[in-house]
Amino acid sequence: MIYLIRDTWYLFNKYLRITLRMPMWALFTIVQPLIWLLIFGQLFKNMASLPGFPAGRYMDFFLPGAIIMTVLFGTSWSGVSLLREINFGTVEKMLVTPVSRIAIVMSRVIHSAVTVIIQCIIITIVALIFGVSASSISGILLSFVVVFLLSVGFSSISNGLAMWLKREEPLVVLGNMMTLPLMFFSSAMVPKSFMPEWIRIMTMVNPIDYAVEAIRAFYSGAISSESVFTGFAFLVLFALASTSWATEMFVNQSE
Amino acid sequence: MIRTEKLSKIYSSGVKALANLCIHVEEGEIFGFLGPNGAGKSTAIKILTTLSRPTSGMAWIGGYNVVTEPNKVRCSIGYVSQETGVDYFLSGRENLVLQGRLYRMDSKSIHHRVEELLELFDLRENADGLVSTYSGGMKRKLDIATALIHNPKILFLDEPTIGLDPHSRSSLWNYIRMLNKDMRVTLFLTTHYLDEADKLSHRIGILHKGSIKVVDTPEALKDSIKGDSINLSLSEGAKEKAITVLKGSSMVKDILCENEHVRVYVNNGSEAIPGLMKLLNQQGVDILSLTISRPSLDDVYLKHSGVSFKEGESGAEANPWWAKWQKGGWGKKKGGEEWNQEGGSELEASKDPEGKGEEVEEGDQEEWKKWASCPTDDKQENTWNKDENKDENKGQEEAWKKWGGSTADWEKWGKGGGKS
Repeated sequence: MIYLIRDTWYLFNKYLRITLRMPMWALFTIVQPLIWLLIFGQLFKNMASLPGFPAGRYMDFFLPGAIIMTVLFGTSWSGVSLLREINFGTVEKMLVTPVSRIAIVMSRVIHSAVTVIIQCIIITIVALIFGVSASSISGILLSFVVVFLLSVGFSSISNGLAMWLKREEPLVVLGNMMTLPLMFFSSAMVPKSFMPEWIRIMTMVNPIDYAVEAIRAFYSGAISSESVFTGFAFLVLFALASTSWATEMFVNQSE
Repeated sequence: MIRTEKLSKIYSSGVKALANLCIHVEEGEIFGFLGPNGAGKSTAIKILTTLSRPTSGMAWIGGYNVVTEPNKVRCSIGYVSQETGVDYFLSGRENLVLQGRLYRMDSKSIHHRVEELLELFDLRENADGLVSTYSGGMKRKLDIATALIHNPKILFLDEPTIGLDPHSRSSLWNYIRMLNKDMRVTLFLTTHYLDEADKLSHRIGILHKGSIKVVDTPEALKDSIKGDSINLSLSEGAKEKAITVLKGSSMVKDILCENEHVRVYVNNGSEAIPGLMKLLNQQGVDILSLTISRPSLDDVYLKHSGVSFKEGESGAEANPWWAKWQKGGWGKKKGGEEWNQEGGSELEASKDPEGKGEEVEEGDQEEWKKWASCPTDDKQENTWNKDENKDENKGQEEAWKKWGGSTADWEKWGKGGGKS
């Protein structure tokens, strides 16, 4: 166990260092979420005046959605970079050492989650500047916990799929294909009252919807409501299930 | 140090990569594993380095079982793969430190060892530059250095000089010799460069279609082919006389004339020269100059695999990762074709019009049995011509002695490489 944590830490360190050495990455990381927030905020601006729409501007409503989009786009690359490391022989170089196999996956997943959190911090700051209201600091911090859980879950899925598909191209296509439906089957863009019945049912199994609802609740100050608790529990389960699946896939394929 | 017993590997795609592989590598040896792509070299090395599991059979590294004690094996071996596994966006030093961490060494010994290796591989100057700025040769050196971070007793090198320019290649050879000579590292290297195997290895195993065909010293392997050719330069008019004299000698297998030169084929050149010179001098033939040339490993390879290197390269290497990735897809088809490739035996047949192919095959079995000490079910092997086999043994002994003599040169090169 202590080795698992140590190994994960050293590998996480490596990935973080590599990420920070890409200046273009840093630039796009800052720009991309702002584009989501501003363009979507403008495009759907008038929706907020529709009857039945929650009070406030569309941007207030969409902020959790922008955060979730950042999570989805940010984590879908994790699997691609795993395949690249396999092709470069880097993974093999790790596998000949006694390093924990679980740590190889965990370090990637955590690295992915941390980079997404950095993006979300930026997006939150910009949103606050644009006048999005947040009830408390703790609410904002809790929303990062949600982002962490969701990112861990989705980057695990990306890594697991990478081990299953073995090729970069189908992985990228699948990642892109999944992103929008996952967004649509949640209340990230439109309130649930606007949805047809079947989509509303779909939201019940979509971790993204739970994350959106939880973040929205945290921003409005409803930190201790029951729906937040179930949402949180669902996300924890989702993160645990997908990481164990990804590690299972990796360990199986690497032996 | 390395021992395998009836090691077999059949991939889920149905590709049979190894069939009853038996090898025994002694401590302090450089063992060259030779074979064309698809012969099973990489599969064997992957099983030995715990990256893949055998379908059947067993392997031990330094006394540890590769299947049941993988972590003990991992700590006693270093592995340099075909792909440079170093991280391009880390510096050389960071790569070394990270690998030390992964081997779970403590910080103090990591830093000590990193400095030692940077010095040894002459990488100190660029230690803090990103690997992406390194040349191909430097990347390879760093790759080898990272594999040595934990002071392994055994180093596996999978085609270490692939893609390097001639200068970097020979420089790398010097490092490899130095590791073996000065640091007592047992080396197991695969290659499909014959000259590389010839120059580096103490013993060579020729792998064909997943099993070892023959294991011996490069010298003995070459001796087993045609013997050496001695090129004599004679004074004018002495040619005819010399030929008559040489024809009478029992040592001489064949004679060939080129202008004033006489080319004499003998079993063992260095052994035959004193006798031949004495014989010619006694008959009044003056020798102006004399050179010996040895048969190349290419001939040996052809004999034992029946596939020339160039032909073999068309088949894809059965790599565990890819083999698994291509489950049931185009990989399967390709693998199947590769395995059923008949080109090899056709070539063997065409080279052997008198049908001696069968005999050669049995000889391989005998050799194989002798060196690997593994039982085979093939009873036909006993029909192998015993006398000829004896001759070969004699040649091998001789070659070992010769080998001892030439290590001095190696030492010189190894040291030169270390300093330069």
